[in-house]
Amino acid sequence: MALFGGARDISLFRHINRELMADVITQQCSFYKFKLEETKVNLYGEAAEEKFYMGPVLLNCLIERANEDFPETDLGTDFTWGATFKFLRDDLLGKMKEFNLDFAPTNYQYGADLVPEVGDIILYQEGYYEVDVVNSNQYYLGKNPDYPNSPQLQNPGLDEFGYNVSVICETHYVPADKVGITQERLYTGNNNSMYDG
Amino acid sequence: MANIPIWPGSSSFHPGDTPFGFYDNNPEFQVDADKFATFAARRLGYPIVDIELQKFNFYAALEEAVTIYANELYGFKIRDNYLTFEGAEATFDAEETIVVPNLGRIIQISEQYGVEAGTGGNVDWHTGEVNLTSSVQDYDLEAWAKANIPHYKDHDIEIMRVFYEAPPAILRYFDPYIGTGMGTMNLMDTFGWDGYSPAGVDFLLMPINYDLQVIQTIEFNDMIRRANYSFEMHNNKLRLFPIPDGTVDKLYFQYILNSERSSASFVVGGSSTISQIYDVPYKNPDYDKINSVGRSWIFEYALALCKEMLGYIRGKYQVVPIPGDNVTLNANDLISAATGEKERLIDRLRAYLGELSREKLLERRAAESDFIQKELGNVPFPVYIG
Repeated sequence: MALFGGARDISLFRHINRELMADVITQQCSFYKFKLEETKVNLYGEAAEEKFYMGPVLLNCLIERANEDFPETDLGTDFTWGATFKFLRDDLLGKMKEFNLDFAPTNYQYGADLVPEVGDIILYQEGYYEVDVVNSNQYYLGKNPDYPNSPQLQNPGLDEFGYNVSVICETHYVPADKVGITQERLYTGNNNSMYDG
Repeated sequence: MANIPIWPGSSSFHPGDTPFGFYDNNPEFQVDADKFATFAARRLGYPIVDIELQKFNFYAALEEAVTIYANELYGFKIRDNYLTFEGAEATFDAEETIVVPNLGRIIQISEQYGVEAGTGGNVDWHTGEVNLTSSVQDYDLEAWAKANIPHYKDHDIEIMRVFYEAPPAILRYFDPYIGTGMGTMNLMDTFGWDGYSPAGVDFLLMPINYDLQVIQTIEFNDMIRRANYSFEMHNNKLRLFPIPDGTVDKLYFQYILNSERSSASFVVGGSSTISQIYDVPYKNPDYDKINSVGRSWIFEYALALCKEMLGYIRGKYQVVPIPGDNVTLNANDLISAATGEKERLIDRLRAYLGELSREKLLERRAAESDFIQKELGNVPFPVYIG
């Protein structure tokens, strides 16, 4: 029977993470979720015409941006600029989750209801970054509560232990003219959610 | 996954919110509980940083601090007055009682000396007698005890007194053969003081030191020039000097039983008798009677408890995971600071109480008196010229 890393401890971690990311570090980015159903793709899965995105959604995150690089290739001088965006996974889950619904003491409405995938676009400062890799395997105490292997007698209730901490997106810089994101319709919402874009 | 709330910035106390509920119904405690929670949270950094505590943690700390304060206070009172408390009936309200010391326990403690000195005490002295046999010098009183004391345990007897002494010297005060060389009749005759009584009996009143000297002379004479009455005793075997010659047929002695002496040390009290420090009927204090000095100490100690609690919460896991990394919180600093603060506060309170002990107060009064006398000594004495 599991003893450590229970829901109370994880709640403490969540509080500390949100305090650190929202009030101390305060790094943010805007997340454009790729709309696959509205984007026409060809035989090879390539979007020959427009791509459609939802959002943007403003997210707290930890950002590691590499230095700009100009490698020499056969076609001439190239340009690369990688960045890694680390999100608290709980922030990306649904609004109606207990820990997102009423998260005292702040009045933020957490819960972006967003699953980062390859091809999504992240706006950070003046640059657009396209997601290349999505990792979600930072398990605290090695336990992922989403896989409790229930029902079982040996370790019942494993869904209350462990923590899937983060979603980490590795990205590369995309020039703004290549992305060509323009606003499609005007947002008229007026609530205070930081995730409504 | 649960969301456990942390300190939201304010609280509202309700009876039952503390673990023990000692002071929950005290109106002043109810008010102070919420004020303290706000104070402690702010002292720990709120609202700049989150405080991972709930109101129940603050209330528990405050309740514990009040209880520890009372514990130190009552512990001090018990230490200062235990000689008076011990043996008394615990039927008084200790919080409301002014303790007036008495000598009862001191006298009880002193009974042990009375036992050994033969001047009182709480152990019976028994009397025994052995028949003396002419020309027999040694007598085994242990053997006598085995033969004469029911249920006797070996080596239980301890001889306290042996009545084997010469007749009192006063009996021979008028003995004309003692060789003092002082005949009062001749003295009176020489001074012409005899013959004043019609019956021809005259007395000369001498000072008491003269009588003592005469008696001492007789005793020294017996001791030095003659075989004095004495005895030796080793392991309850009695050797008499001089060797009995048959003129005295019994020897009396007094003894105590070691088992009785040991038993006398234990006095069984009633169910309400104060026989242990926990019998002293102190209860929890009335919070509203604690003055500002006491409350100030309580708040500081409760704050240290909160700091310690927060330290243990933040330090349950050495590191806290954040996306892609780990962070170490200030748990060690909090615990270290809290431990030091708690020790200092306890030491300060004990020193403060120690200065209020009866002994210290009397010392201070005596010192004050000395200083006053010294100060008054500097005032010039008036010189009167008449």
